[in-house]
Amino acid sequence: MFRVIMKLAWASLSRRRGRSLLVISMIAVCLWGLLSLEGLYDGMIAQMIQNATRSDSGDISIFAKGYRQNNELAELVDSAALDKFLKNDGRILSFSKRIMQSGLVATAHYARNITIYGIDLTEEQKNGRLNNYIVSGEYSFANRSKGAIIGAELASKLSAKIGSKIIISAQNMVNEVSSSALKITGILKTHTVLDKNAVFIDRQKTRDLLMVPRGITQVLVTLKNRNKDIAVIQGDLAGIDGLEVWRWDEIYPALLQSKQMNEKFNLIISFLVFCVAGLGIFGVMSVSVLERMREFGIMLALGTKFSQIGSIIMLEAFLMAIMGFGTGSVFGGATLYYLKQYGLNLAIFSKGLEAFGMDSVMRAVIRPQYFFLALAAVMLAAFVSALLPLRFLQRAKPVSLIQTI
Amino acid sequence: MFIKIAIKNICAYRKRSIITVALTAFSTALLIFSSALMTGSHNKMLANAVEVYPGYLQITQKDFRDVPSYDNLIFDVKAMHRKLSSIPGIAAIGARFETFVLFAAENKTVGGMLAGIEPKNENRLSRLAQSLKEGSYLSDGDAAQVYLGVGLAKKLQVKVGDTLAFVGTGADYSFSADILYVKGIFQTGSFDFDNSTAFVNKAYFDDAMAAENYATQIIVLPQNPSKSDALAEQINQQLGTEYQALGWRKSMDGLVEAMELDSVFGYISLAIIFLVIFFVIMIYTLLNIMGRSREIGMMRALGTTPGQVFIMLWMECLILGMLSVFIGGLFGGGLTAYFHFHPIQLSGYEEQFKQYGLMAAALPTVFRPIMIARDILIILTLSLFAAIYPIFKVNRYRPLEAIHHV
Amino acid sequence: MRWRICYFPSVLQLFFLAIFVALPLIPFPRADAAPLDANTIIKRVEDNLNGKTAMMRFSMQVKTSRSLRTIKMTSYAVGKQKSFIRIDYPGRDKGITFLKINNAMWQYVPRIEKIFKIPASMMLQSWMGSDFTNDDLVKESSLSRDYTTRLQAETTNQYTLQLLPQADAAVVWEKIIMTVSRKYFLPMAVKYYDEDGKLVRVIRYLNVKKIGTRFYPTHWLVIPQGTEKSGHQTIIDITEAVFDKPIDNNYFRKTALRRFSN
Repeated sequence: MFRVIMKLAWASLSRRRGRSLLVISMIAVCLWGLLSLEGLYDGMIAQMIQNATRSDSGDISIFAKGYRQNNELAELVDSAALDKFLKNDGRILSFSKRIMQSGLVATAHYARNITIYGIDLTEEQKNGRLNNYIVSGEYSFANRSKGAIIGAELASKLSAKIGSKIIISAQNMVNEVSSSALKITGILKTHTVLDKNAVFIDRQKTRDLLMVPRGITQVLVTLKNRNKDIAVIQGDLAGIDGLEVWRWDEIYPALLQSKQMNEKFNLIISFLVFCVAGLGIFGVMSVSVLERMREFGIMLALGTKFSQIGSIIMLEAFLMAIMGFGTGSVFGGATLYYLKQYGLNLAIFSKGLEAFGMDSVMRAVIRPQYFFLALAAVMLAAFVSALLPLRFLQRAKPVSLIQTI
Repeated sequence: MFIKIAIKNICAYRKRSIITVALTAFSTALLIFSSALMTGSHNKMLANAVEVYPGYLQITQKDFRDVPSYDNLIFDVKAMHRKLSSIPGIAAIGARFETFVLFAAENKTVGGMLAGIEPKNENRLSRLAQSLKEGSYLSDGDAAQVYLGVGLAKKLQVKVGDTLAFVGTGADYSFSADILYVKGIFQTGSFDFDNSTAFVNKAYFDDAMAAENYATQIIVLPQNPSKSDALAEQINQQLGTEYQALGWRKSMDGLVEAMELDSVFGYISLAIIFLVIFFVIMIYTLLNIMGRSREIGMMRALGTTPGQVFIMLWMECLILGMLSVFIGGLFGGGLTAYFHFHPIQLSGYEEQFKQYGLMAAALPTVFRPIMIARDILIILTLSLFAAIYPIFKVNRYRPLEAIHHV
Repeated sequence: MRWRICYFPSVLQLFFLAIFVALPLIPFPRADAAPLDANTIIKRVEDNLNGKTAMMRFSMQVKTSRSLRTIKMTSYAVGKQKSFIRIDYPGRDKGITFLKINNAMWQYVPRIEKIFKIPASMMLQSWMGSDFTNDDLVKESSLSRDYTTRLQAETTNQYTLQLLPQADAAVVWEKIIMTVSRKYFLPMAVKYYDEDGKLVRVIRYLNVKKIGTRFYPTHWLVIPQGTEKSGHQTIIDITEAVFDKPIDNNYFRKTALRRFSN
């Protein structure tokens, strides 16, 4: 029986090819636009968040209690319990440890206040892929850790380039000023405040410079499944003595808000679009039903069950919806893929993007839920739009149907 | 006569007419409201950022922006006033002397900016007076009274009526120090700014800083803020190469571009919605016109030329279109006008704006008839465009075919 | 809305300069017999400029293209760790005192009767428009220790030394050329170069006079090069100095700020 219904539905669609194609292209265009936009917006926000969490805050940041308020070098984290937790907890993907102190960087001509970050290159590469932010030079501290990696904005303010010598000075643990000469081995661009005030040097070298034999200032933790585990892990970590544990959105509340605002916006636009699309399908379906009133009347008089006729009509709507979805997904998916690989180059807006911590090449993300949600929405629109003509048909009597002109 | 027929048809095919009108009116209203909201909110954010302190137009000595030292001050404010007085389009002028000092209260010492301002002029040039939180704003006769940011007051742990001291370097490199009484505390909403700046009356400060007739910058309020750049050009020509006048569009270009980018994305989102609407209107027009194939075939058989058919159908679309954009225009314009006077309150998203220094808790729309007219025209054109395919399609049928069209 | 002016350091500039200047002299070297190598020369020069304790009175003129400002100070110093300075002139600033103990620094301003503790971060702060660099600020460097010295040229009156930084030395200069007086083993002119070989500043030491049992340059000229500093100069004149006499420890207590203000 299904094959007959299928044939009838298909025949009906092909009879009015222009119309059907119009509906299918409408859904396809709808989908293509929505998918691309959603992917691009989400990509933008994801990029902003990623830049911040990878270079500055991690998914979770752990400090010694009171550090964020006071910023004293002596407020260090040195807890065996913490190390054990970090090593053994399966939900943690990776972590890196940093020593931080405010200080001064100087060349023969200029000097600037900066923050010294004592890092371990391998840890940071694994944890935050800090190496991806290098724009010039290399991701290394050269022989005997005499190199430094600095932010791009800082480099330009100091008029320094790869190989330039810089002197960093900072107050060490015994309140003396300690200095060291370094050569710039790499310059990075994270699109965060680090570009302006960060000097990264080898962690062990920082220990020697600042006389900090043990302990660290900050632990950046990356989780395997951030959304699921972050609150729980924060609770677990907070249980360890002497620590303060911050989520990335507590350090950057504005980013989380951007994300939420974006999600709401996507939802509203999608809703609007599908309502209108539903209207389109409705129009076509109702005309399609109305013009076949006579046919249906005869079929009903001959004994066809109403449910069977209903199935034909529903199937027509669904077929258009699926074909529209298919085409739209293919084009949308292709566009998303292109945007994901090559990104959208918005270099003409570079100053504006810098102001908001975004790169000038915007990449899209592809999430399966885009397609699932779109499918559900299209199906729903098709279903509801076919419903009204069906109700109308249901209430009418076969005889009067046959008599319609 | 065509018009009469068109109107009759419109009334006869009510469903199509209503849906077309509804969709088109909705699009019109949406476009009008969205562009008004985007423009309005961007303008407000920019205005907020500019008006809090930076000002619409800044004049400095030519090297001051790169090397902000005492060597690059404006050394004759009075002469500058004279030169500026001959330029039309200036609503207000004020001089500022900004310097970096150490503040000390009880046992806390904090570094920050202390600036001498002309209180009465400054009132028109920036939002300092309006940002008052406690106590009162400065007045022209004040001596050692300070107006400081809420974050700075917290760091120093002072309230209105307390004293604090500052030590700094005067314009002649002498030591400058004095005790100040806290007259008022302000909160602009910009975290960095409130944490590190304080203001005193310039007349008093000039004395303490040996800066009489000097200024680090002069702020100008144009009569027409949107023409700041043109005014800056004029001023530059008048003042010569020694000085540089910069309009806010140049000095805050990052923010300006960011707003433009936001608009671009906004319009792209709207475009997608309109694309779908365009399709749906086309669908309904098609359905309607194809449904009338018989009728049209009959007319053709009776001698109506394809051209006349075209005009008739076109008329329908035109009348429907104009009616819809009129309704949509009224509705959209009404919404715009309402939100112009009662801006949208955004509770819960302030954090996001604050981090970028945009104090925008309320977004207004702009009410500009030209913009509304433009938007109406766009939608009207689009809706007429949507009708082209169906009309051509029906005209291609030969009369007999059309009559037998099922 | 950021300010970009740091004027306060000019006060620090004076203070650190005073420390820089408060470098006493040890006994005047005997006339040389055999030819000397570069390292010996530089060591002797440094010894002649550094010492254990010093009390000095000197004036400093800060000259810019627009102004000329003179300040007179008295300073007491023990090594590099402790110093006390009082401003004696001009009248408006008279009585302002500074105290530095290791890395803690205080200032007292009599006309508002307030003591300021200067935060460590400000001590390390950069400044623009200053004739001194942070190398001078931190004063961790020592010429003989941080540089490799080579004797470049020699005449009857002077040695010309070339100093290049040691591999790990925390100094900003890429090269220093120093002319040394053979008679006194004191520097005559010191030229400082940056990484690109550009001359950044010149310091001239003039008017060598006998002070007590020592010879010491009493007129110093600091001349920054480069167009953005044109017209700038800092001139130091030492009017009185006493070296290696023990200094009352009370000068290096916080109470000294008010007590020795006048």
